[in-house]
Amino acid sequence: MPQETNMQRTIPIIVCFIFGLFMLVQFFVPHHASISAYQTVLDWMQIIFVFTLLVGVISYAKLNAKKITRTQTGWGYNLIGLIGLAVMIILGLSMGTGEKTPFLWMFNNVQAPMQSTMFSLLAFFVASAAYRGFRARSWEAGLLLAVAIVVMLGRVPLGNFISHWIPDAANWILRTPSMAAKRGIYIGIGLGTISTSLRIILGIERTYLGRK
Amino acid sequence: MSRQLIFILIALSVAIPLVIKLGLPNEVTSEVMAVYEEIDQLDSGSVVLVSFDHEASSLPEIKPMAQAVLRHCFNRKLKVVGLALLAEGTAIGEQILRQTADEYGVDYGEDYVFLGFRPQYQAAILGMGEDIKRVFPEDYKNIPLTQIPIMRKIRNYENISLVISVADGDMPVWWVDYAVSRYHMKLAVATTAVMATSFYPFLSAGQMKGLLGGLKGAAEYEMLIKKPGMGQRGMDAQSVCHLMIILLVIAGNVGYYLKK
Repeated sequence: MPQETNMQRTIPIIVCFIFGLFMLVQFFVPHHASISAYQTVLDWMQIIFVFTLLVGVISYAKLNAKKITRTQTGWGYNLIGLIGLAVMIILGLSMGTGEKTPFLWMFNNVQAPMQSTMFSLLAFFVASAAYRGFRARSWEAGLLLAVAIVVMLGRVPLGNFISHWIPDAANWILRTPSMAAKRGIYIGIGLGTISTSLRIILGIERTYLGRK
Repeated sequence: MSRQLIFILIALSVAIPLVIKLGLPNEVTSEVMAVYEEIDQLDSGSVVLVSFDHEASSLPEIKPMAQAVLRHCFNRKLKVVGLALLAEGTAIGEQILRQTADEYGVDYGEDYVFLGFRPQYQAAILGMGEDIKRVFPEDYKNIPLTQIPIMRKIRNYENISLVISVADGDMPVWWVDYAVSRYHMKLAVATTAVMATSFYPFLSAGQMKGLLGGLKGAAEYEMLIKKPGMGQRGMDAQSVCHLMIILLVIAGNVGYYLKK
């Protein structure tokens, strides 16, 4: 129905324009009415975000349930994921999340060690990948390799143990050429954010609506 | 060299220095010293807000930093307000804060408080600039903030001397954008080593007062407060592990040129 589609497109654009403009203008208006309205908008933002979390949980459950019912490859992992989700929700809602609760026990003894383990595996894969892929095939690659070695040594006490020059060189690399590149990236991101924000507020950029 | 052998070498290079102490000398960097000085110069009774903006995966790196900073705060008799802007930081933050507070025998509600988690961090950071009680009407234990002595004197950032973001992602950037730029808050950051370099431009611009980067940052801070902990213990392992990776890279290149 074209009329309904039009409403679905127009209303979000109007809402976005009004609130985008309001948040922009209120920054420069210290009047108590402006601050009060601003606080209300911030409350709304948090409430909306909680509902998006709920949408995420439902979407996760639906997606996994579909894979399990169709017994797709790796459906066992989906089942474990769903059981984990259900167990944590049940434990949290029935017995709370505070000190000495089963929820906290599960978090400390199952979730946190598993996540830390996954993160720790990076060290092994980085070492393996560096051994296989980090080759001084050209002058630029050689320079990158040398810089990486200096920074790796300079960021641990071993570098200081070998020579004071190493941490000094590592700090110079991080605070001068590396920071210059980072600044350039941040300036680019900042300008891009401003232009995209303006495009969204003015209704030029509409991809967030999720349809053409 | 097989992948299995590389994995074994890395595992040994981490495990052995954790058992056999090498005691390699460490030096305090200026960005860590800046955090120390920022906290050290605060008057007794000043309020420090510590935000646990991280997930459980980075706990081995995050915990030593958070502990070292909190030990300094409690030792200086500062008041600490803890909170989390990422869900997983909630339980971790509460436990680190409680355990460290217990070491110093300080009282919950009088000397420190944990507010819990709030979603939508932009709104939470901005909202606390106006009224913390509006963002967190109750603490983590569901006690209304109006009944908590420490919170009676704290309305918003004006009553807070320093914000410390203990983060494993880019949350400190949001603190800069919304708390530093808009409310002129002082911000110090304790972050994972992999994220530390991202924040040097903010450090250089003065938007961050200081920075603790990973286990090294924790080790340096432990040296400053003269309380050795997990940071200093982990530095030997990290040193040997870095050396092992460098040796592997050199070996890989030697093999490459010999084949060539």
